[in-house]
Amino acid sequence: MRYKSFVISFTLVLLIILLMCVSCQKKGCTDPIALNYSVEAQKDNNSCQYQDFDKLNLLKNLSDNYITPSLSAYNDKINILNNSVVSFISSPNIQGLGYLRNSWEDALLNWQDIAFLDFGPSEYIILRSQTNTFPIDTTELQNSIISGTWNFQNSTFNDSKGLQAFDYLLFKPGYTDEGLITYYQSDTNATNYLKSISEDLLININYVTQQWDLQKEDFINDFETTNTGYSSNSQGSSVSNIINALCLHYEFYVRRGKVGLPMGVFNGFSQQELPHLVECYYSGKSFQNAVRCISSMRKFINGASYIANDNGVGLDDYMNFVNAEQNSQQLSSTIDNQIVTILDELGNYNNSLSEEIMTNKTALSSSYEELQRLVPFIKVDMTSALGVLITYQDNDGD
Amino acid sequence: MTEINKWVTHLIKNPVSIFPLIVFRITFGLILFASTLRFILKGWISDLYIKPTYFFTYYGFDWVRPVNSEVIYLIFFLLLLCSIMITLGLFYRISSLLFFILFTYVELIDKTNYLNHYYFISLMSFLMIFLPANKFFSLDNVIGISKKVKTVYAWQINIIKLQIGMVYLFAGVAKINFHWLVEAQPLTNWLKHQSDFPIIGRFFLYDATAYLFSWGGAIFDLLIFFILANKRWRIYGYFIVVIFHILTSVMFPIGVFPLVMIVSTLIFFSDKFHQKILSIMVNTKAHKSSEKIEDQHKNSYIMYLLVTFFVIQLLIPFRYLLYPGKLFWTEQGYRFSWRVMLIEKAGYAQFYIHEPKMDRKMLIETRNYLTPQQEKMMSTQPDMILQFAHYISSEFKDSTILETNGEIIKLGNKPKITAEVKVSLFNKGSKDFINQNTNLSMENRGFMNKEWILPYED
Repeated sequence: MRYKSFVISFTLVLLIILLMCVSCQKKGCTDPIALNYSVEAQKDNNSCQYQDFDKLNLLKNLSDNYITPSLSAYNDKINILNNSVVSFISSPNIQGLGYLRNSWEDALLNWQDIAFLDFGPSEYIILRSQTNTFPIDTTELQNSIISGTWNFQNSTFNDSKGLQAFDYLLFKPGYTDEGLITYYQSDTNATNYLKSISEDLLININYVTQQWDLQKEDFINDFETTNTGYSSNSQGSSVSNIINALCLHYEFYVRRGKVGLPMGVFNGFSQQELPHLVECYYSGKSFQNAVRCISSMRKFINGASYIANDNGVGLDDYMNFVNAEQNSQQLSSTIDNQIVTILDELGNYNNSLSEEIMTNKTALSSSYEELQRLVPFIKVDMTSALGVLITYQDNDGD
Repeated sequence: MTEINKWVTHLIKNPVSIFPLIVFRITFGLILFASTLRFILKGWISDLYIKPTYFFTYYGFDWVRPVNSEVIYLIFFLLLLCSIMITLGLFYRISSLLFFILFTYVELIDKTNYLNHYYFISLMSFLMIFLPANKFFSLDNVIGISKKVKTVYAWQINIIKLQIGMVYLFAGVAKINFHWLVEAQPLTNWLKHQSDFPIIGRFFLYDATAYLFSWGGAIFDLLIFFILANKRWRIYGYFIVVIFHILTSVMFPIGVFPLVMIVSTLIFFSDKFHQKILSIMVNTKAHKSSEKIEDQHKNSYIMYLLVTFFVIQLLIPFRYLLYPGKLFWTEQGYRFSWRVMLIEKAGYAQFYIHEPKMDRKMLIETRNYLTPQQEKMMSTQPDMILQFAHYISSEFKDSTILETNGEIIKLGNKPKITAEVKVSLFNKGSKDFINQNTNLSMENRGFMNKEWILPYED
């Protein structure tokens, strides 16, 4: 019967089409200098665009004048640290220890400049957790040294390696400087451990710097453009990535990790202080690192270049461009003023953070309030002004 | 009276060609298939229905749960199967009924995932259960479940047009508001990030473009149904439909919805048009239509059911009038009303649980309980804020907490929960959203006005 065969052949054709869809040829822009150049595209569909908007300047400025130089500055400091370690362990002495501590302190401050650049290669190797996890698991660390075995490839060692392990190993509680020298003169496992952590830091930052060199063109041209043709700050675009990274780092790792947690803000009803959770607990250098990190974020938001503190195209200009306001004031200046307030607050303390937590909690609490106040400004106002969704989840809207 | 009678006969009882309905069944079925497949391939089953530990259920539908991961995967597999069966017209009644039930079930699990176009698919698949869309060019014909018929009652086609028309009309009416028309918000803001849009992107930097799009969108939604219903203007109307939806689909992350509308609106075209489409695949000329229409609408229960269905749909979008305050701020009566892309809202919520004796409070880390998407949706929607507060309260019900200082704290039957919420509407700066002294665990869920939402100040 003809009718039946029509229906059945339609069914078959439909199934064949469904199968073919899976193996379709990808179309897209095949011109490598276009913004939306697609590596996967095999067939040009005349979708190439070449554009002239500020966003390109913004990303170019951030990449050329902040991200690239800050990564290479940190890379240099880690190299110096590595050299100091090598010369210290060859013959441990007071002078060598002094050099080593200084180069560690420098490296850690430089780390704060790049800690919030958690996208692309840094995100890929989880650089933040590998570099600066605290508090240090001193038991695990000591056991590794005693047994002479450790495996830094394994992420369970993240809390016994990195820059915070130096904080412990170079300022070991209960040791005078002379005692520390004797310790490193007599324990080769301990010196090997020092060498291992600095090498691990070097390997990681070498990888990130190399990868960044390969990826920065994509970043400037917006990651996402390679897939859909243009980005509009959607999920996975460069603007979305930097803002998500910035907000997460500030909210979770600075406000919470560097200050809130050790103060006890997150510790139940009693808000019992947990001073051993501060960054640099053993050397007592927490404040300078918190201040450095927040100042660097400020530089980044304002589009200042890493080396000369000038004012390039930054996220602030982008916020002004879309007329973002907060309380009938420019959002960009609200954010900047708030950051300045925070820096002033944190610059007021004379003792180490862990001491201030125990002796001066009232003052610290009001400083924390200022840190907290910045969160909605960047997480709600800035992101929505720039059309970025704060979420790592892919989804439809309507 | 006779005029009205004529009109009613024309729209309801007249015998008309079945072809538009058949084309609709095939194309809509294919879209259901494609969108379900897309959902699965994006890994959203796991992201939305397996990973979350808590689900924001609809009031009155708290019994709807994902059960477990096997069941939810099975449901999606069945949805795929049903959509193919609908397309092919195989066991059509059962497959369309099953599709409607399963799809609606999935949508009811978590209001985080509410989208107007999912609502549309639910409604449309409900209607399809009652339409004889398997009476021609179907496997049901081949295996003999349904007789081959080439005419149906006019209402069986027009009901689809009515459903589509309601979507557009309500979407249009919702756009008649101060922000949309006078401020051209939220498009003013959104378009500024689209300046890298192909070809026309440079024009997005001008405010005039936002006004053009806002007004154009409102006029389009309000008029398109009437244009499509008119024989002479139909073709131009459809042309605009295609342009409009393609533009929105490229500009905004709205998934398959534009495609759904582009395909569904084909129903407005003539019988001849649909006959032409079908004649590519099947002989539409053979067996001159001499057979009688199966007297389906004798079943007056179905008629009553469908009338009620539309009356409810007609009323639901207006329920917001029963609430005081600004709709876009409170979102009381916001969903299920075809308010599409109307607001730009972002929020940040911090919850506290209070101890009974000294009224000290503990900060709840929201991210330990919710997915990023849930957290984002919850922080701007009061009913979800309340649900989360109740959830936290029940999690800590009668619990004993050992503090790091050795203190032991016993929480009562309904621990007090408060929240500090900052919300920014249309990028006008974040403001306090709810009364931060209100004990949310004592507030009831439901349709009553939520008095703890702070009034909107502009």
